[in-house]
Amino acid sequence: MPRSPLVVLCLALLLAVALVAPAAGQDDEQTTVRVAFNAFENNITPFTLTMQGLPVTHDLVHLVYDALFWSQAREEPEPWLAESAEPNDDFTEWTVTIRDGVTWHDGEPLTAEDVAFTYDYNLEVEHPGRYGHHVHQIPPYSHSEVVDDTTVTLVFDEPAPTFTAVPGGDLPIIPRHIWEGIDNPDEATDIEPVGSGPFEVVDIVPDQQYVLEANTDYFMGAPLVDRLELPIVPQPTAAFAALRAGQVDAVDVGVPPELVDQLRDDDDIEVIESTRFESVHLHFNMTEGPLSDPALRRAIRLAMDRQAIVDGVLLGEGEPGRDGWLHPEVHWADPDDTSTFDLEAAEELLDEAGYDERNDEGIRLGPDGEPLSFTVLVAAVQPLHQRAMDIAAQQVAAAGIQLTPEAIEPATLAQRRRGGEFDAFVTNLEAHAHGDPDTFYFFFGPGIEGTFFGGFDDEEFNAATLEASQITDFDERRDAIHELQSMFAEQSPAIVLYYPTGSYAHRPAAYDGWIGDPGHGTFTKRSFLAEYAAVDADEVAADDDPGAEEPVALPDDVQEAAEGAPWGLIALIVGLLAAIGIAVALTRRDRADDVTGA
Amino acid sequence: MAGHLARRIGQYLLVLVVLVMLNFLIPRLAPGDPIDFLLPPEVASGVTEEQRERVMARFGFDDPVHVQFWNYANGVARGDFLTSVRYGRPVTEVVLERLPWTLLIVLSAVLVSTVVGTVAGFRSAWRRGRATDVGTLSFVMFLDSLPPFFVGLLLILVFSVWLGLFPVFGALPSVPSTGVAFFADVAIRAALPTATLTIAALGFIYLTARSAMVSELGEDYVMVASAKGLPDGAIRRHAQRNALLPVWTAAMLNVAVLSGATTVVETVFAYPGLGRLVYDAVIARDYPVLQGAFFFLALMVLAANIIADLAYPLLDPRVRRPRPAS
Repeated sequence: MPRSPLVVLCLALLLAVALVAPAAGQDDEQTTVRVAFNAFENNITPFTLTMQGLPVTHDLVHLVYDALFWSQAREEPEPWLAESAEPNDDFTEWTVTIRDGVTWHDGEPLTAEDVAFTYDYNLEVEHPGRYGHHVHQIPPYSHSEVVDDTTVTLVFDEPAPTFTAVPGGDLPIIPRHIWEGIDNPDEATDIEPVGSGPFEVVDIVPDQQYVLEANTDYFMGAPLVDRLELPIVPQPTAAFAALRAGQVDAVDVGVPPELVDQLRDDDDIEVIESTRFESVHLHFNMTEGPLSDPALRRAIRLAMDRQAIVDGVLLGEGEPGRDGWLHPEVHWADPDDTSTFDLEAAEELLDEAGYDERNDEGIRLGPDGEPLSFTVLVAAVQPLHQRAMDIAAQQVAAAGIQLTPEAIEPATLAQRRRGGEFDAFVTNLEAHAHGDPDTFYFFFGPGIEGTFFGGFDDEEFNAATLEASQITDFDERRDAIHELQSMFAEQSPAIVLYYPTGSYAHRPAAYDGWIGDPGHGTFTKRSFLAEYAAVDADEVAADDDPGAEEPVALPDDVQEAAEGAPWGLIALIVGLLAAIGIAVALTRRDRADDVTGA
Repeated sequence: MAGHLARRIGQYLLVLVVLVMLNFLIPRLAPGDPIDFLLPPEVASGVTEEQRERVMARFGFDDPVHVQFWNYANGVARGDFLTSVRYGRPVTEVVLERLPWTLLIVLSAVLVSTVVGTVAGFRSAWRRGRATDVGTLSFVMFLDSLPPFFVGLLLILVFSVWLGLFPVFGALPSVPSTGVAFFADVAIRAALPTATLTIAALGFIYLTARSAMVSELGEDYVMVASAKGLPDGAIRRHAQRNALLPVWTAAMLNVAVLSGATTVVETVFAYPGLGRLVYDAVIARDYPVLQGAFFFLALMVLAANIIADLAYPLLDPRVRRPRPAS
């Protein structure tokens, strides 16, 4: 029986763990829901977000704020803060009637003045972020005319036929009394995020947690959850481990493909499928070189078996990329758009376009006699993008074109995209892009300058995007977009590799009202509202545990606790270290005396 | 002694100056800039050159490099590290918020790894070549070869998911607690990150302790003691005291090693320390935060070195003894 100090130490540690462990398991009352959130977004105002949590960031913003309509990703956005909105004949003016009696979280009334202010302010500060550019870019907003407390007319310089989607269903309405007088909104990282949404922010611990509480006066009815705790867990691995361990009740981001089956098999966890219209795509540098030839780009697309990528990389949890860019479930998308894979056609096309000579390695030669060999930049933080591109490169090699994926750090990738120092790169987008009827304008038309999306500049395509943006009849607009899709397929300025299925996991025991809202996943405002959520309002009310302990703490308390936090423990550890040092030193001193005394 | 101290402090100041300069230089040598982070094209497709310039100007990144350096150096002298790009708040404030958490797990890991590594190392040396030694040696080398990222995930899987003993993320409880409960909450949340760092640090300490002890055991005084018929315990005590000095040095060096490892470990555990701050700041090319965070991390490492230096004479009479006049 070895009585080594190691064994004793291990036993002591285990004992310590056993003593302290129960403290970790303490759970909350039933109407508190804890959702792992993937990024810290500063103080959650439209101007100070870090955007690291996109696309979920947008849904967090819309828990705190409201737009006039919900949502940008829908065919017919539902009136939200607005009761109705009527355009004039040429769609350059929208007269919006907002709900009466709505208040901000701080109790101030929300009026037409706030709506007018929001649009004017975004135009005035020309904020280049996620929201502002839809006001100062397209449709070009001009000014507002407040008619009365609940009526405002928003005037545009050009027709804004899809105003109710973008910006109407997108732009968060902000309180005038808070933002008026703030000249540099990006610097307002210390103001309180006052919105009108279903939840009110009560606590922010940087990089650790947000705490939101129900806005009981919400105009759509008080949300079904009293308190939302959003611990910041950036690593999906850790977030889903926490879900399985029961430490969070849901995770805001989609389940990674390799975990989907495991979570579906877990009796305590439910997985809901709901798309955020996400896509992963390959962009080419079309400013010069062989890749400026549409035939070559089209051939690369034809040589890719994107279903095989979905099967191999996403384990079937997704859709193969369509030739015409748009996510197939988006209401603008052409239902006849396909994901063509035809190696023979690709080879034929390449032969016809003059790429019929090959070098010793079987790689086709370009017009300058150089082999068709291109480097594809992939962000090193995106393992799925890398795996997808590896497979795609093998497939395209069969047609005699060499694509070499190179994983690089995101900031370097961004710089090379801006500087045009690339052959091709992989990136991703979500509902905000696919649901936007002007997506072709923004990413491949006149809405973008420079090489960020490959520098595609085709006169005919540019004109067609502009023309489409002015069409006021919905069906005609959709037809025009279908036409843009086929032009896109022909030109192939980018190739969509896949659209991941959005699978979102939660623990129904904690809250089972989650719904899949197309374009938003499950972590979105309608999951918490009785009218839409998957549970009865009565049932939830009955679940409310009256004996539950008061969970609310003043933000200041937590802040103080956070600041004063571990100093005591640190002192203890330093003390221990010092004690050991002193003990050693003392024994040394004895010995030193011996030595000098000797 | 005083001369020695003055010389050492002079050296440290020199190191600090070089460090302040490298701190400014290295982040800027990396490709990419903070604007691409603040205004990613996927979010704001049509960012104009004018808007870019405006944001550059806001953080002073449009000034000539020497002006930027002057502002930075000036700030350092005043303890002001300008404004974070990502957080939009003063860097000093952001860094000081994170520092205690890193101190907590790094110092805990140094403490635990030193105690465990020393005990195990001395033991191994005493039984050199026997099964327990070979076993411990192999096991520690195995632990040492595991990357901290992997160890962290493994600990999460075993202790959080399977056994449900520890929280997976964060440093503070979701529901604020006070008093003893608060300390328990913080300790339990620090446990897995600390364990990961401890495992990363253990090999170094263990090997140092073992080899120091082995060489002490080969000294003449040990043979004399043994020949005198002293009990094993007494011989070990003598040898152990002398073998402690290199262990002490290794422990202090570990402060530096572990400060680096926090970048990975804090990211895995979503622990709000300096390491994760640095990781996020690198992604964002948040120069001011990188400058501030590295400065404080470097101060930590320098402090450990100074403490190690100052403690030598206390620990070892040979260092304390006046040099023989030649």
